[in-house]
Amino acid sequence: MSAEAHSVVAPSTGWRRFAAVVVIAYALAMLVPLGWIFITGFKSPNDAIAYPPKVFFEPSLEGYVNVFTTRTRQSQEYMDSLPPPETWYDELVRSRNMVIAGPSRFGQRFMNSLIVGFGATFLTVFLGTLAAYAFSRFKVPLKDDLLFFILSTRMMPPIAVAIPIFLMYRTLGLNDTHLGLILLYTAVNLSLAVWLLKGFMDEIPREYEEAALIDGYTRLQAFRKVVLPQAMTGIAATAIFCLIFSWNEYAFALLLTSGQAQTAPPFIPTIIGEGGLDWPAVAAGATLFMIPVLVFTVLLRKHLLRGITFGAVRK
Amino acid sequence: MAGPSVADRIADRAAAATPMTVVRTVRGLTDRAIAWIFVAPTIFLLLAINIFPLIWTINLSFTNYRANRLTRPAEYIGLRNYERLLTDPDIWHNMQVTAHFVLWTLFFQVVIGFALAWLINRQFKGHGFWTTIIVLPMMLSPAVVGNFWTFLYQPQIGLFNYVISFFTGVDPSSFDMIGSVALAPWSIVIVDTWMWTPFVMLICLAGLRSIPESIYEAAEIDRASPWRQFWTITVPMVLPFLMLAVLFRGIENFKMFDLVVELTSGGPGSVTELASINLKREAFEKWRTGYASAYAIILFVTVFGLANIYVKALNKVKER
Amino acid sequence: MTRYLTDFLRGLLRCRRGPWEMLATIFIAVGVVMLMQPLAIVLFSYSFVTLLIGVVMFLIVSHFPE
Repeated sequence: MSAEAHSVVAPSTGWRRFAAVVVIAYALAMLVPLGWIFITGFKSPNDAIAYPPKVFFEPSLEGYVNVFTTRTRQSQEYMDSLPPPETWYDELVRSRNMVIAGPSRFGQRFMNSLIVGFGATFLTVFLGTLAAYAFSRFKVPLKDDLLFFILSTRMMPPIAVAIPIFLMYRTLGLNDTHLGLILLYTAVNLSLAVWLLKGFMDEIPREYEEAALIDGYTRLQAFRKVVLPQAMTGIAATAIFCLIFSWNEYAFALLLTSGQAQTAPPFIPTIIGEGGLDWPAVAAGATLFMIPVLVFTVLLRKHLLRGITFGAVRK
Repeated sequence: MAGPSVADRIADRAAAATPMTVVRTVRGLTDRAIAWIFVAPTIFLLLAINIFPLIWTINLSFTNYRANRLTRPAEYIGLRNYERLLTDPDIWHNMQVTAHFVLWTLFFQVVIGFALAWLINRQFKGHGFWTTIIVLPMMLSPAVVGNFWTFLYQPQIGLFNYVISFFTGVDPSSFDMIGSVALAPWSIVIVDTWMWTPFVMLICLAGLRSIPESIYEAAEIDRASPWRQFWTITVPMVLPFLMLAVLFRGIENFKMFDLVVELTSGGPGSVTELASINLKREAFEKWRTGYASAYAIILFVTVFGLANIYVKALNKVKER
Repeated sequence: MTRYLTDFLRGLLRCRRGPWEMLATIFIAVGVVMLMQPLAIVLFSYSFVTLLIGVVMFLIVSHFPE
């Protein structure tokens, strides 16, 4: 997305202005659903289902309170017998004739997402860096076949893979564990990591290492002290891609985890209020869940293209 | 997994602790050995988590195994599962539903994506910023997005229905994008297009930027019209990139699961029941494991074939 | 066109990678179309075999010399 001048027959100002208007209009229109998720999180349940849809409303944190708590409805007598509310969220919940029964499972699911995401990313980047270095620098027998094999594992339909994985994990006792998901996400992400990192390492001139070898470094030292620092940007970008994938993954998490290790994506759609889905709470959960990804996307913008084409397209 | 790290550490420590003359012998780890040590853990993990299960699936696909009945042993029934699958009109119907989804999403994404890329390539002020904004939807979790779109699609209260009625005057409660048999296949196409058009756009943009300026300059000297330049230079030069995007999106949508399952979960009836959703039903709700394994193998082989073509396209683009 | 066709056939006979890969690609593409077409269930029934031939062919011929 760099801005080097590339216009031959330099587009006329009129064209340029037209292009700007269309693109900006498209971008804004496509942002509406995202913006709607964001503002729905701050609506009260009644405002969320009002007709016509409300753009201006009195902001409320009820959705955020609801996503983190479980509540029980109480009789008026019981409500009257309670001491005055201690906190703002107590007050908010009581205004609906309910009391907070305890924390919801959202926090725990979020935590699971963090554990699995970071665990898988760490393992992927570690293994991927080593493999990518080998593929980039050495003659590995059957190199092209191995690289294709690695890539093709990424393309497999998750549900099809999930059948034997489910049986295998059941035998090994890995169903519904963090380790099981971490290993699985590592396997899926490795393909992307190896291809991406190989691209980044191919770009580091071999002369640096050769100079280091002549200076008496061993291969491994040269790898650690010369290649790794040079590849750091690439490794960071790869790590973010892996993190986003593990963070967003749904199919495996749905089929292989139920209680203990379930991550947030299968959980968020099941947030239920009284009488159907509690939309402000769903929106609040979705917003909290998506914000990290949006931040990372902005950080990644220079490497996005590489990431989505397995490193084949550089610019 | 411990292999490389331990080897690494030992080699480093030995190198640090020993005088130069000894280092030469410790260097004994040849490049070949390092290559193997570095690649082995990756290959091992992929074998354990991808290939071993794949072989297991192939094996299961010849049996009538049911994973919810642990006591009953599996019997080999030959090719019967494949026979039943490939002559079943319902499975055929699911494939057509998948085809509808894949073809229309590809069509819209290519048309809109290419047009956007072409406009962004006019290099107006701030195009980098707006590109980043446009890209945002494709990085989000499809399941969470799909779930939230069910809210936007609600008749009467949903934003989508409201916007449509605002522009067309149709009563917003008179149509139900998810609940109606006629509209549901389009509801998933719309959300997928919303989400993944940026993907096609980014790759087209890369294609457009890879065209050397000199070609256009030469065409200008030959007084080729802009229309002619577009069809004889721009389109052919972007085509390999577009192929890449189309193949990848095609594969992804052929095996689409998360977005659609949260959006319509295959309904109403089975009008949006894509192959993967159908497979999940067979495998994890009806527990016909053997039958579902044969189904999985059919999807595997299809995706694997397309992946072969994809990698060929990838190498073609790489040469540029 | 005829020139292209004879080159293609000659490539096949000499076990060259390019034309064979092209043939495998065609098998795969036809197989995918057969799998998802709405016209005849017979085509659907034989799609898997076609795909399998294409895939196996691709795996073999990708080791032929350029």
